[in-house]
This record gives sequence, C-alpha cells and structure tokens, in this order.
Amino acid sequence: MATINLTEFVTLESSDGFEFKVLRSAACLAGTIKKALDPSYGFREESEGRIKLATINGVTLEKVCEYLYYHQKHAEAKDVPDMEIPPELCLELLIAADYLDI
Amino acid sequence: MIAGRGRQRIRPPRRGLHGDEIDFENTWSTIASAFREIHTKNASRLSYEELYRHAYKVVLKKKGEELYKRVCDFEHEWLSSEVRSAIQALFSPNLSAGTQSLGGTTANERRVAGEKFFKGLKQAWGDHQICMSMLADVLMYMDRVYCHDHRRPSIYTAAMVLFRDDILHAPTSDVDGKEVLRLLNHVILDQIQMERDGDVIDKHLIKSCVHMLDSLYQDEDEAEDQRLYNTSFEAAYLETSREFYRQEADFLLRDSDAGAYCRHTRRRLYEEEERCRSTLLDVTQPKIQQVVEDELIKNRIHELVEMESGVRFMIDNDRLDELNLIYDLNSRVDDKKAELMRAIQKRIVELGTDINNAAIAASQAPVSAPMPLEAGDKVKAQMPEKSLNQQTVAAIRWVEDVLQLKDKFDKIWEVSFQQDQPLQTALTRSFADFINSPAFPRSSEYISLFIDENMKKGIKGKTEMEVDAVLEKAIILLRYVQDKDLFERYYKKHLCRRLLMNKSISNDVEKAMISKMKIELGNNFTLKLESMFKDMTISEELTSGFKKHVEGLGDKDPKRIELAINVLTSMTWPLETMGSGDDAEGSRPRCIYPTAIERIKRGFEKYYNEKHSGRQLTWLGNMGSADIKAVFPKVPQKDGSFKERRHDLNVSTYGMVILLLFNDLPADQHLTFEEIQAQTNIPKTDLIRNLQSLAVAPKTRILIKDPMSKDVKSTDRFFFNEGFIGRFVKIKVGVVSSGNKVESDRERRETEKKNDDSRGFCIEAAVVRIMKQRKELSHQALIIETLNQLVGQFKPEVNMIKKKIESLIEREYLERVEGVKIDSYRYLA
Repeated sequence: MATINLTEFVTLESSDGFEFKVLRSAACLAGTIKKALDPSYGFREESEGRIKLATINGVTLEKVCEYLYYHQKHAEAKDVPDMEIPPELCLELLIAADYLDI
Repeated sequence: MIAGRGRQRIRPPRRGLHGDEIDFENTWSTIASAFREIHTKNASRLSYEELYRHAYKVVLKKKGEELYKRVCDFEHEWLSSEVRSAIQALFSPNLSAGTQSLGGTTANERRVAGEKFFKGLKQAWGDHQICMSMLADVLMYMDRVYCHDHRRPSIYTAAMVLFRDDILHAPTSDVDGKEVLRLLNHVILDQIQMERDGDVIDKHLIKSCVHMLDSLYQDEDEAEDQRLYNTSFEAAYLETSREFYRQEADFLLRDSDAGAYCRHTRRRLYEEEERCRSTLLDVTQPKIQQVVEDELIKNRIHELVEMESGVRFMIDNDRLDELNLIYDLNSRVDDKKAELMRAIQKRIVELGTDINNAAIAASQAPVSAPMPLEAGDKVKAQMPEKSLNQQTVAAIRWVEDVLQLKDKFDKIWEVSFQQDQPLQTALTRSFADFINSPAFPRSSEYISLFIDENMKKGIKGKTEMEVDAVLEKAIILLRYVQDKDLFERYYKKHLCRRLLMNKSISNDVEKAMISKMKIELGNNFTLKLESMFKDMTISEELTSGFKKHVEGLGDKDPKRIELAINVLTSMTWPLETMGSGDDAEGSRPRCIYPTAIERIKRGFEKYYNEKHSGRQLTWLGNMGSADIKAVFPKVPQKDGSFKERRHDLNVSTYGMVILLLFNDLPADQHLTFEEIQAQTNIPKTDLIRNLQSLAVAPKTRILIKDPMSKDVKSTDRFFFNEGFIGRFVKIKVGVVSSGNKVESDRERRETEKKNDDSRGFCIEAAVVRIMKQRKELSHQALIIETLNQLVGQFKPEVNMIKKKIESLIEREYLERVEGVKIDSYRYLA
C-alpha cells in the first residue's frame, strides 16, 4: 500500500527487477538492510526508502521476505512451525543470508 | 531438515559471484572516493548497497587483508592531513600557559582559549566517530569475515587507535614537542582549577572531552583499566588535586578556625562529588574522595583536633554542630574515630581531674568557722549549710559537677556523635578513668555522701519523678566506680546512721534506692543492706512487744520509762564505724546506767532472752537517744518573768546518763569531769563530746562549766544550769559530729584497712571456690579467674592475690604441684 510512507514500509528490489514492499521493522532484521537505512548516516537508500539488491534474484528475495515476516511473527512464540524451504533454493538462500547478515 | 525432503536435487546457485573477476584497484578507488565523500558529509549521494557490495566482493575474493590495510592507510592519511591541521589551528599560547605563569594571561583568556580547543577537539572526535561507524557499516562484511577470521581488531577500533596516535599523540607544535593529549589534560585541569577558585566553566564541554578519553585505550588490548582517561588524565587529576588540597589544608589550618575548616572540607567533598558527576566520570569519584579525605582530613585530623579552636574549644563552648562536623569527617577516614575519641577522652579526664582537684582543694581549705553544734531545730533550719562541714559540701559539689559533666557529654554524644556506640564506650571509659583515678580515692565515699545528703534533705518536697531522677543519677555514677565494695562499706555506714537516728526522710525512697542498686550490682551487694532494714522492722515489733509485756506485768509505775530499742545484727551493721574508733568490740567499757534505766534494761534483756535464747545483747549507749522531761526551778529571769519552766530535752543516751547524775545532786553542788567519768564509765571521747554539747553549745547550755571555755578538760567542774532559758518546749541537744560527713584522714585509713581486710576474705573465698571446682590450675589461670570473679565488686591487686594464695597454702587448702614447668596449684579437700 503506501510505499510513500518511508517510516513504515521500504522497498526491496531484486536483481531481476521485482519489487517487494516490506515492513521496515521486519526488513531491519537483516543487518545490511538496517544499516543501509540508518537515518543517522544518510545514504541514498535512506532518503529513497528503496534498496536495490543486485546480487539476489526475485525468487530468492521473495523467500527472504517471507522469512523476515515469519521471523517477526514468531519472534516471541515457542513451538514454531517449520518454514517451508524448497531444497533447490537452499544454497542461494544461504548466500543471500550471508550477504544480508540475517 | 531440508535434506528430508530431498526429492529434488540441490542445484548450485545459478549465478554465483565466484566467476566474476573484479579489478581490486578499480573497486578500491570507488570505495576510497566514497569514503572521502563520507568524511566530507556527502553520504546522501552514495548507495550503501553498492559500497557494501563492493567490499563484499573484495572480501570474497580473499582480498580482505589488502582492503583492511588500504582503509587504515586511508584513515591515517586523512587524520594526519586534514584533522590534525584543524586541531593545530586551535592552539594558542594562552592554552599552554600554566596557572602559575605570570605572563599576562588572565583566567578568562585561558578559559576562552580552552573552550575553543575543547570545541574543536570535540567536533573532530564526533565527526571521526560518525564517519568511522559509517565506514565500519559499509565494511561490515569485512569485519565479520576477515577481521574475525584473522583476529584483527575491527576496523572501527583500528580507526580509533589511529585517532589516538595521529591526533592525541601528535605534537602540538614543532617547537616544544608537547603532545595534544598532555595539552588537553593540562587544559582540563586548568579549567577545574578555575572552578575550584569559583569561576564558572563549561562542564558539558569538558565532559564530552572526558568521554573521548574514556573511550580510547592506552594500547591495543583494550583492557578495562587501560583507558586513556584512567592512564593519562585521572592520574594527573588526582595528583594535582592532592597538591591543591594539601596547600589548601595548610592555608586553612593557619588562617581559619576548626569549625570553618570542617565546613570547608565538607563543602569540598561535596563539590568533588558533584564535579565527578557533572564534569568528569563517576569512576573517579571514590578516588578523588579518597584524595580529599586524605589531604583534608586524614593527614590533618590530628592538627585539626588539637587546634586552639579544635575539639577542646568546641566541647567547652557547646559547639554541637561543629563537633558533629568533626565526627562526620573523622568517621569518613577512620571507623574508630581514633583522633576524636582521643581528644574527647583527654578532655573528659582533664575536666574530671579539675573537678577532683577542686574537691580536694575545697576539702583541704582551712575550715573557716568551727562547726556549730547541731543546736535546736530552728537553728538547723536557719543555717542548713552549716551543719555540713566544708568537706561534705565539697563531696556533694563533686558529685554534682561530675553529673553535670556527664550530662554535657551525653548531650554531645546524642546530638553530635549520632549516638555512636564505640564513642559511648570511650566516654564511659574516660569517666571511669577519672572517677577511679588513684589520685582521687574518695569517689565511693562522695557518692555515698551524695545519696545520704539527698536522703536526709535533698528529696524533701520533691515529686516521685524527681526523686527517681536523683537516685538514677547516683546509680549512673555508681556504675563507673570500680571499688564497689568500698562504696558498699560507706553506704552501709551512712545508711546505718540514717536509720538509727531517724534522719531518713522516706523509707520508701531508701528502699527504692536499694532495689535500684540491686538491679545494677546484683543481689549480693544489697543483701546486707536489706537485712539492715529487716532488723529495723523486727526491732519495732520487739519494742511494741516489750511495751505490751511491761504493761502486762501490771507495774503501774508512773515514772516508768519507755524503751524503744533497735536490735542490730552485729555482722550486718557497721557498728564500729559509729562509735569512737579506738574501742575494739571486746574492750568497750560498760557504761554504768542509773538504776531506773538499769532496771528497764534488765527487763528487756530478760524479755529478749525468752524470745531468742542464746543471744547476747550488747548495749551501745553511744548510739541511742533519750527524751527527758526536765523541770527548771523558779529563777528570776532577765525579762523579769519568774516561773517554772518545763522542757522536753532530746539528748543522746550518754547525755541522759550524765544529766541524771545531776538529778540527785543539790543545786549548788558540782561534779568534776573525773567524777562524772567514774560514775558513768562513759568512754572519754564520748564523754567530752556529750559534755561539750550540754555545757558549751550556746543554745543548749543545760550544764554550766567552770572554767568556761570551749575545750573540756579533765579538771573542769560542772553545775546544773538552773537559769537555763530555752525558747521552745522541745529542745534537741545535738552531739558534736553526729552527722554523716567526709572522714578524716585517720578514719579513712582505718576504713581502707578494714576494706583491705574484707577484700582479703573475698579473694580467699574466690580462690577456694575456683580451686574446688578445677582441682588443679596454673598460677596465671588462677589469677585471671580470680580477677574475673571479683570484677563486679572491686579490682584486686595481683600482689594481694598472691599473698592470699600463699596463706591458703600455709593453711593447707592448696598445695603446689611438684615437677611441672608452670607454677600450678592443687586443691586439697
């Protein structure tokens, strides 16, 4: 919805042009995203509210976003159901996680 | 968990980063230019993700080390060219000017220059911190992978180290080679000094510089105690503070009084605490407090206490607030408050000794007027003071002074010393010290006299509460007295007089006193005192019993003499102290009573023996009194009246015996002293005293002495004074020195000797008790136990104990154990 509202949602853009609008609080789980958006530094990403992730493709990024929400949702709960991860995405997800410092 | 669903093959990433060869130099130049932008605060044009991706790739390509090095070099370059010059631009000669230099720089100029310097430094530090955290974020992947794996400090830390080396350790100028860091310390200290001198400084600014020092470390390890703040600034700060306060203490001790010194010290302590909070760091607080306490209190407390306006002055002038300050200060540096305690104790002993000396001086002052005889109630009422001699006044004065002193120090203790327990003990000890001081052996006697005086007069017309307070005071003093047995002896003597002569105002008060002593000193102490009261009660019963008995005999003799008698148990009553001291019990000459008296005496002896067989009664004529109805014949008076006069004379028993002699004598006949003595067999000293009161004292001159003089000599002749005039019907003929007063030296030696004797028995008894229980004991242990047992009664001399042990060995209660190293004794059953 309101992509303009920088404080609430941020846009993550994949290498192949997909855009994901994510809750800022969820996105900031990823260290890299968090720092890119840090208001005290004032990088370009911060002013645009958009981060282009040139190393991650759309499929992977979707899964990453899913995980970010999944994590936020279950942050406090105990018996957490496993998240479904297609095996073929495993390696790419690992690399993305490393890159994003999740 | 993923493997479990392994129907599909895990594919390698479709488009890894591995294949892409990157040009390190190109990438680095991109990064470096971006860093420059960051340093110049143009970050908004940069994409974080892009920079991150570059660094990420470089690290993935195992070029981490080189990247790390390049970044360090870059920062080094930046700091030493751009930042350092900016800082160096702030230096001015005013900055480094010391406080002592006279070179025309005012404090204000220095302060302005200092604040400028602080601001520049703070700015540079703040910028550096922000830039470096941005850099560190961009290089996050390097920190995570390269630095972690190769155990390098994170790039942020490395950059902080660079800041320290390139900026703080840089020389301020090429000439004097002083480091910026030292200059910074110097300026901070200078500013703090200004604040101490009363200037206002920018605490916040200094605090930020202090924070900078706090977050930098002396070396690479980043050990907690190696912060620049601790290693460089704090040490200097403490050192200069120490110097400052040392000088200030010198100055204050010289120029102001102790109270002001205390207040000043307290303010300084508070200021330093406040300074640590607002300007420096809290960790310094205990340290600087220690410094101030050391310099202003610990090293000076002695001088402070001894100052002219020190503790002594405060005590003498009731400066409770200042004493409280001293107490507060002293307790900061010394849990035991040794200095204060010492001073207080010294002052108590001084004051106490003054009181002692005053009492001794007063008691030794020549008696200005000879003691008037206790002649007539009226006279006594008119001059109550005269009935006490000077010594007694001194004694009572002494007690009151001591009590006053005690009140004073109690108040000080309560108000100024926060009821500190050890100090109370010290106070008690000091009081005990001077009360028991060997230079002043009369405290027991004086206390007993004080009670005596109050029992006889002092409590007249007082409420129960007031009386109780008086008794309580006496008990307080008694608590300090070591030789309780001596006190008991005096008290018994005084009580004895009060009881027998009916001088005590209230029996209830007497009993209250006894029970107070019982609480304080234990049952043993009051046992004999109580039995004295019991004797009195039994005697009353006996008297009334005898009266009935006589009436029952039907002997209706109109001239019958009523007899009131006190039968006293000889062990419990200190009878020997009552009479003239020289008469030993056995050799006391029997007084010859007139026949009428003798008869009734016999009658009572018979009556008493019927009740209690086997008891021997010894009549103590020197202690009794008699009421005589005397008729003086019609003799022309000076005022012209001519009539018969009747008087009820209250005289001592001996006085009665003497007067009865004149009953049978024709009016113009006389008796010589020797004749009286021969007919009555009254001991000479008693006789002299009685004759003095009957013939010399002006108001009770029932006999006429020839020749008329004050002294009674054995050749004197006595006539019955037919022309005796008394203004009252009832006349009390007092006997010289019948009141309780301070003993003469001879009496006192005697009392002490008796006391020593009874102590001897106590010691022997204690030794035997101990040995009976222990069977065998070493000499040392026996002495200690004996001392312990007797501590409630008195403090025996070790020599005396030794002597008593010897004597017990001689009498075969004990024997020495042969063949052991330490002297030991064995109990022989």
